[in-house]
Amino acid sequence: MATEFDPVADSSGIRSQPTTTTAFGREWNLTRLWYGFVGTAGFLAVWWAGGREVPSYLLPTPGEVAGALWAELVSGELLVHLGESLLHYIPGVAVGIVAGGLLGIGMGWSLVIDAALTPVVRVLRPIPPLAWIVFAIIWLGLGHTGAAFIVFIGAFWITFYNAYEGVESTSRDLIEVATTLGVDSNRRLLWRVVIPDALPGILTGVRTSVGQCWMMVIAAELFGAPGVGYEIITSANNLAMARSIAYMLVISVVFLLSDWAVRRVRSYLLDWQQ
Amino acid sequence: MRDHNDAAITIDGVSKQYEGEGGTTTALREISLSVSSGEFVTVLGPSGCGKTTLLRLVSGLESPTDGDITVEGKLVQGPDPNRGTVFQAYHLFPWLTVRENVAFGLVEQGVPDAERQDRVQEMLEVIGLSNFADAYPKELSGGMKQRVGLARALAVDPDILLMDEPFGSVDMQTRRQLQHELIHIWRDTDKTVLFVTHDIEEAVALSDRIVVMSGTPGCVQATVSVAESRPRNRSAQWFVDQVETLFERIKSNT
Repeated sequence: MATEFDPVADSSGIRSQPTTTTAFGREWNLTRLWYGFVGTAGFLAVWWAGGREVPSYLLPTPGEVAGALWAELVSGELLVHLGESLLHYIPGVAVGIVAGGLLGIGMGWSLVIDAALTPVVRVLRPIPPLAWIVFAIIWLGLGHTGAAFIVFIGAFWITFYNAYEGVESTSRDLIEVATTLGVDSNRRLLWRVVIPDALPGILTGVRTSVGQCWMMVIAAELFGAPGVGYEIITSANNLAMARSIAYMLVISVVFLLSDWAVRRVRSYLLDWQQ
Repeated sequence: MRDHNDAAITIDGVSKQYEGEGGTTTALREISLSVSSGEFVTVLGPSGCGKTTLLRLVSGLESPTDGDITVEGKLVQGPDPNRGTVFQAYHLFPWLTVRENVAFGLVEQGVPDAERQDRVQEMLEVIGLSNFADAYPKELSGGMKQRVGLARALAVDPDILLMDEPFGSVDMQTRRQLQHELIHIWRDTDKTVLFVTHDIEEAVALSDRIVVMSGTPGCVQATVSVAESRPRNRSAQWFVDQVETLFERIKSNT
């Protein structure tokens, strides 16, 4: 599963012009940059024109949002709330990826585990992570632990699925080659062939988890867990829409940063593919 | 002279059947064949005659339905690095560099680090790819990939080399070159080679003995010895005649 932030790979239209690659892995050139600038300016102009016509509690102007963002940054509140979000996001994603990856590899590899767990997995996997919020509340309360639990479920199933697919579709041919070269245990086969062969799939799962789980974080926080999402909803309740949008932009920025970081790790680990 | 007396590979009354939806298909019927130690034997036959299946049985990747295959006196019951296998489609590990691919079997055998590196370096020199030691397979041409495939199989120093149409996916120039290199390696290392191909010229150019198979089900139709010294001149009269004879023989059976 790819996200909408994949680097552009087609060569039609203005994209076919000579390019240089930036740190963000995108193709850039002056024409593209110019069009991007025009598009952004147009968007802001429309927003500004709209915001000027209606009261700020319906739609604040870009300037008001920028002001609110600056105020949060200077007061240090932004970092505090972002820190709160990260406090359940990071453990939830990390544990979810590891647990989901392990179960996916186990089920993809072992026919016994696959047969035993498939019915349970089939039933549980379609349940949206947010549906578990009732249990998160009852069992753990809606603090960091409860929110981390929701994030965990999201990351778990996404990574599980990608790891399972990756392992299940391991090249039979490469397994055969490995056995002719002296690999004679399941453990060695997993380590030397199956996991490396499934790694692209597993890392796609990791990348998708890292992105999707920001949604879980915000959703859990809208229910009351502390963090950026909580600030979005409380600001809106107070009709401080500029502050609300400021925190929405924070989510966007951390999403882009985390996706970029995962992509870097991914291209480092998969340099044999490029 | 080589000692061709002791049998390295003995295939004794081997049949292979597959159970499918349309009933039982017999891929091989009653194959008996013996390959002496150090001998270069080619199994020649048209597509679908079961020659690849025969090689897979010897490598231990599949088991015969009937009959026994023994290698150096031991019954084949599964793959073993002592029977190095080279595949037509290379099957290099794409996530490993050339060096790491060649080292794969040595790592599994627990060969100490220093010794392993020396051995890999030696193999890279044999196949002439020292400059590509740190390249990934996708950066290599077909011929280079197959050189790596060969080096990977040879690195653990097997007694037997099993080759399944190894040069079937490369262009003609490269194929000639690789055949030439293979003969050199075979001479220098004293391996027993069981080689599968449908290319008659290739069989005549390389082999001590050619086993002609026909299908279906696959069975041994004839065995032809080629005593001429190598390298063999492909435009020599005996070569042309031999190719023609084999061609007629195969044609009359398909």
